[in-house]
Amino acid sequence: MIKFDQVTKRYPGGDEALKNVSLNIEAGEMVFVTGNSGAGKSTLLKLIAAIERPTSGIVLIANQNISKLKPSAIPYMRRRFGLIFQDHKLLYDRNCFENVILPLHINGITGLEAAKRVRAALDKVGLLHKEKAMPITLSGGEQQRLAIARAVVSRPSILIADEPTGNLDASYAADIMAIFHAFHQVGVTVIMATHDALGMSARQNRVLHLHQGALTAEKITL
Amino acid sequence: MKNKLNHHFQAIKLVLLRMRNNPLPSFMISLVVGVAMCLPGLFYIGIDNLSKLTNHMQNETEISLFLKLDASTTTITEIKALLAKNAAIKQFHLVTKDEAWVKLKAASETNNDNSNTIHQLDKNPLPDAFFIQAKSNDPIALEALKDELQSISGVEQALLNTEWAKRLATLLALGKKITFFISILLGIALLVIIGNTVRMQILTQKDEIEVSHLMGATSSFIRTPFLYAGMFYGLFGGLIAILMMAGVVQLFNDSVTQISNLYSSDFSLSLFNNNLFLAIIGIATSIGWLGSYLAVNRSIASIKIN
Repeated sequence: MIKFDQVTKRYPGGDEALKNVSLNIEAGEMVFVTGNSGAGKSTLLKLIAAIERPTSGIVLIANQNISKLKPSAIPYMRRRFGLIFQDHKLLYDRNCFENVILPLHINGITGLEAAKRVRAALDKVGLLHKEKAMPITLSGGEQQRLAIARAVVSRPSILIADEPTGNLDASYAADIMAIFHAFHQVGVTVIMATHDALGMSARQNRVLHLHQGALTAEKITL
Repeated sequence: MKNKLNHHFQAIKLVLLRMRNNPLPSFMISLVVGVAMCLPGLFYIGIDNLSKLTNHMQNETEISLFLKLDASTTTITEIKALLAKNAAIKQFHLVTKDEAWVKLKAASETNNDNSNTIHQLDKNPLPDAFFIQAKSNDPIALEALKDELQSISGVEQALLNTEWAKRLATLLALGKKITFFISILLGIALLVIIGNTVRMQILTQKDEIEVSHLMGATSSFIRTPFLYAGMFYGLFGGLIAILMMAGVVQLFNDSVTQISNLYSSDFSLSLFNNNLFLAIIGIATSIGWLGSYLAVNRSIASIKIN
């Protein structure tokens, strides 16, 4: 499903953020990307989501080379992903319901069908009773859950989360991890960058460890 | 297809919602458009009405042919025959000096100021005259006809009554040109103003644009609401311009009617010039669209995903 072949990414005027990374992620996997800050975790995720293009090497998503994708095709590629960020990227000028409905409008889904899906997504993250609330009134954990609802509402096959628990205390973080595990259970591919090991325990997961842009270890935690 | 319509419908809904949430700024920018459209519109109405008036007068083109005071009845018959033969003349009629004298005296009865003067005259001072309508309205042809008639013996003077109307028409043509250039200048100003407003809006929606990009929104999805915003500013501005123009015309019309009554004419400014109104709305909407189109492509490209 996702294949990196000797991928290097260098930002203009900077060091190599990723060096010669090759990996393969199958559909339905749950993969953790670990490493210190600056190790290239975010860059790896951005390459997967076609936000960045590799300097050299090949990134294949669903057998499509993203370097060769036309700019007009990239939006459609991105619709396969649900993206979740450490800083949520919620829109604070509208309520929870309107935040979650945005990806559906982008996909051309409106009306009752859209409303139904938004409520289903809010229900999955336990925020159904807050659909009219403004995001600013939510706690950090609730905001992150809202961001997850927004990422899953258009039913993407791949969830990409960049340190989704980074700002949260342990109990909130455990909540969030449980939600991701639930999506993994129903067949969604989950790729998550994290610098702590929380949530990886107790289940068998694949871990990609990055160090200064290079893939140094790939292991299965038990 | 349905998807596309839906997309536009959503964009329009979004824009109208944003305008409702910010009524004052939206009204202000529409007002700017309205005033800028209203100015050349009023110029146009003024000039249009004046040229209608002069056209009306030019259509009544008449050449007055005054004969010498001592013209005999034989001279008159000769001239009559000449006129009847002339192919350029549509019709003519003769007003003899006696008829004119009676008319003038009758007219002076109702006009107290002149009555004394007229009645003090013991001799008829008026000449015999032919009033001639030409077939053509072309100023050059009329001029030629006038010269031809002037050269007939026994004719004191041939007068073309459209000289001043012609001069006015020339001035009006100049006025039309000036209006045209003012319109173009104001149009450019509007492009810049609307473009700038839309650019500011894009900046305030920066987060939304970035998030939409991340979720796979196409450029057209992001662009469309801003294009509609520009169009709506133009549309509402156009409507405001029309309201203002209708108000001003109504205001002026009272005075114009009074004046034209004094000249015993039923002329008044035409209030509802549908073509002009449609043109104003169309042009304002197009300018709004173009202004935001120019701003949108540049500004959205400048918002990078970080």
